[in-house]
Amino acid sequence: MSRLASARRWGRGATPYALGAPAVIWLIALFLIPLVVMLVKALETCSPITQACTMTWHWSEFSYVWHGSAQSIFTSLRFAAYATVIDVVLSFPIAYWIAFYGGRRKNFFLLMLLVPFFVSFVIRTIIWQFLLSSSGIILTVARDLHLVGPNYHVLQTSGAVIAGLAYNYLPFTALPIFVALERIDKNLIDAARDLYSSKVEVFRRVIFPLARPGVFAAFLLTFIPAFGDYVNQQVLGGISNTMVGTVIQNYFLAYSDPTSGSALSAIVMGISLIAIVLGGIAIGARNLGDYV
Amino acid sequence: MTTNGSEMDASIIRGMTQPRITRRDLFKTAGAVAGAAGLSSGLSSVAGALPNSNVGSKTWWASQQVHHQLNFANWPYYIDTVSGTHPSLVEFKKETGINVTYSEVIEDNPAFYQRIIPSLSAGGSTGYDLIVMTNNSPQLGYLIQGGYLIPLDQTAMTNFNKYASPTVKNPVWDRGNKYTMAYQSGWTSLAYDANKVKSPGNSLSLMFSTKYKGQVGMFADPIELGAIGLLAIGVNPASSTPSDWSRAATKLRQQRDSGIVAAYYGNDYINHLKNGDLAISQCYSGDIFQARVNGSKNLNLLTPKEGLLFWTDNMAIPLYAANPRDAMKAMDFYFSPLTQAVVEYYVDYICPVPTAKNEMLKPTGWDKAALAAMKAEVGLTSTQVASAPTIFPTAAMNAISKPYYQFKSQTEIDTWNETFLPIVQGQ
Repeated sequence: MSRLASARRWGRGATPYALGAPAVIWLIALFLIPLVVMLVKALETCSPITQACTMTWHWSEFSYVWHGSAQSIFTSLRFAAYATVIDVVLSFPIAYWIAFYGGRRKNFFLLMLLVPFFVSFVIRTIIWQFLLSSSGIILTVARDLHLVGPNYHVLQTSGAVIAGLAYNYLPFTALPIFVALERIDKNLIDAARDLYSSKVEVFRRVIFPLARPGVFAAFLLTFIPAFGDYVNQQVLGGISNTMVGTVIQNYFLAYSDPTSGSALSAIVMGISLIAIVLGGIAIGARNLGDYV
Repeated sequence: MTTNGSEMDASIIRGMTQPRITRRDLFKTAGAVAGAAGLSSGLSSVAGALPNSNVGSKTWWASQQVHHQLNFANWPYYIDTVSGTHPSLVEFKKETGINVTYSEVIEDNPAFYQRIIPSLSAGGSTGYDLIVMTNNSPQLGYLIQGGYLIPLDQTAMTNFNKYASPTVKNPVWDRGNKYTMAYQSGWTSLAYDANKVKSPGNSLSLMFSTKYKGQVGMFADPIELGAIGLLAIGVNPASSTPSDWSRAATKLRQQRDSGIVAAYYGNDYINHLKNGDLAISQCYSGDIFQARVNGSKNLNLLTPKEGLLFWTDNMAIPLYAANPRDAMKAMDFYFSPLTQAVVEYYVDYICPVPTAKNEMLKPTGWDKAALAAMKAEVGLTSTQVASAPTIFPTAAMNAISKPYYQFKSQTEIDTWNETFLPIVQGQ
């Protein structure tokens, strides 16, 4: 074998690695290293003054933050689940309509769906605060029409937080479902109709199974960020609905306690992982690899 | 966790905090924190342990030149402003030739501390020459104790020595003004919406009234929350003990669990008061004054018989600052009655220079044009501002001013946080 040929073969073998390198470096630098740093920090003891940390293998930090924050973790799980269900129920018909009836204007309709989200996340949420406040336009009118009592309020309630989450994450649900629906080969639907399937059966046995990967992606993109969200709770919520994101933020920023913040973040990541697997099973993934 | 009954709470909190305290104790014996027992009393002694122990000495100051450059970090809406410019900074440049880059980057003490401490502990500049931190926050103590502030040039405090109010001279948190000079002071009290609260009375017990269930806002900052809780149970925060703290916490927990508290807020409480979401809220005095100026005439500051919590925001020069001489000049400039008249006309907190009142009424120099220029934006006559007891306090108001608890060690800060934090966190 000539030297040139072997070099060429080596070169060909290295190409996939070279092409994959940016992604690998990205993952190592921005995911793996921060993850390890976070886990290490959770086991360290830090001076509140200098923020200098020494490793003390302080495993009990995990049980400490768990005892203090379990309530907020359960609240977050519940709210994220409600918001995800609301989003899937709302966005499936929208995505379905755009995918099957959008015609030439598909892209325009998609743009219309996304336009509100060109405004920053926090600003959108604060605008909701104005809309829903007791002297805001909605409640003032509702009170004047005697639809609600004089002391009725929306802000600070769990409902306000869930509504905020559902609103803010809607495009993350709608887009993956749309992509999955759009990819469905229309011939399959015709074939099902030819074989005497009713409309309901077509949906149940052809469209929905084929849309599952999209629903699973929607679940990932909605549930996981909503689980860790702290903006909606802080802007729209009150005291009975503290979410775990707020607690983590407070540990880091308000109470200068990065150790507890890191430990709680690690717990939240673990729970997210479990939630992904359980969510995958619930949506009908036989093999997670099929859908991710 | 949901809890009923204070007995259970206390035991749970003790149970869950025990390992942490032990860990911190271990850490302290390891000697990595230098002299945690000395946040207030041993401040001056710590400076000697500094790596740059020469910084801030007489000889060091003698070698510091004016660079005509100053990076000033402050809180939002905390300086005189007219159509985007700050007359006092314009005047400062005119008098000294120092160009000020003014940034409104401080929104609360702990978060700002988190932002600057990585550079400070790594031995680098924060990028700011002048910062403003509140005395009631542990973070100002951390900065002093950690040796992260440059001791001031005591020979360059002419205006301060001449004009500063006794309430901010030689304060308990910085004896001899070694590291800080006041920027503004303020009171923390209760505000109420007169449209909803017809008979507010004159007591902090208003915040426990079941009549306003779900319409009372409290502060999320455990220092503020705990302090007003202590006042409300009739304890002077400055001389309180940990057992008082847990009694106050019990009371605040009851307030929360009986549904009186709407939420625990940061600076955004004022919007909720203005929007009518709250009938009563813990508040900062200046915010209420400004809100009234801006049209919310229904908002009032309660002057409770239990007292008003008095705090001070302090200017300081962080270690490794590039332009300490310029910072020193600016600090003293802000103690000129002319400057304070201009600042106070806009800011409406408690003025650290009492004679600024006369200056506001009868301006004698550059402040005349500045006051006139701001009039449209402020919307009040200078007589109205000068006669406000929340800006130039009367002797009676000063008499009911109550200082915050002065932490003596990190253990005390931990105990305080572990007493009041779970209330805010919903535990």
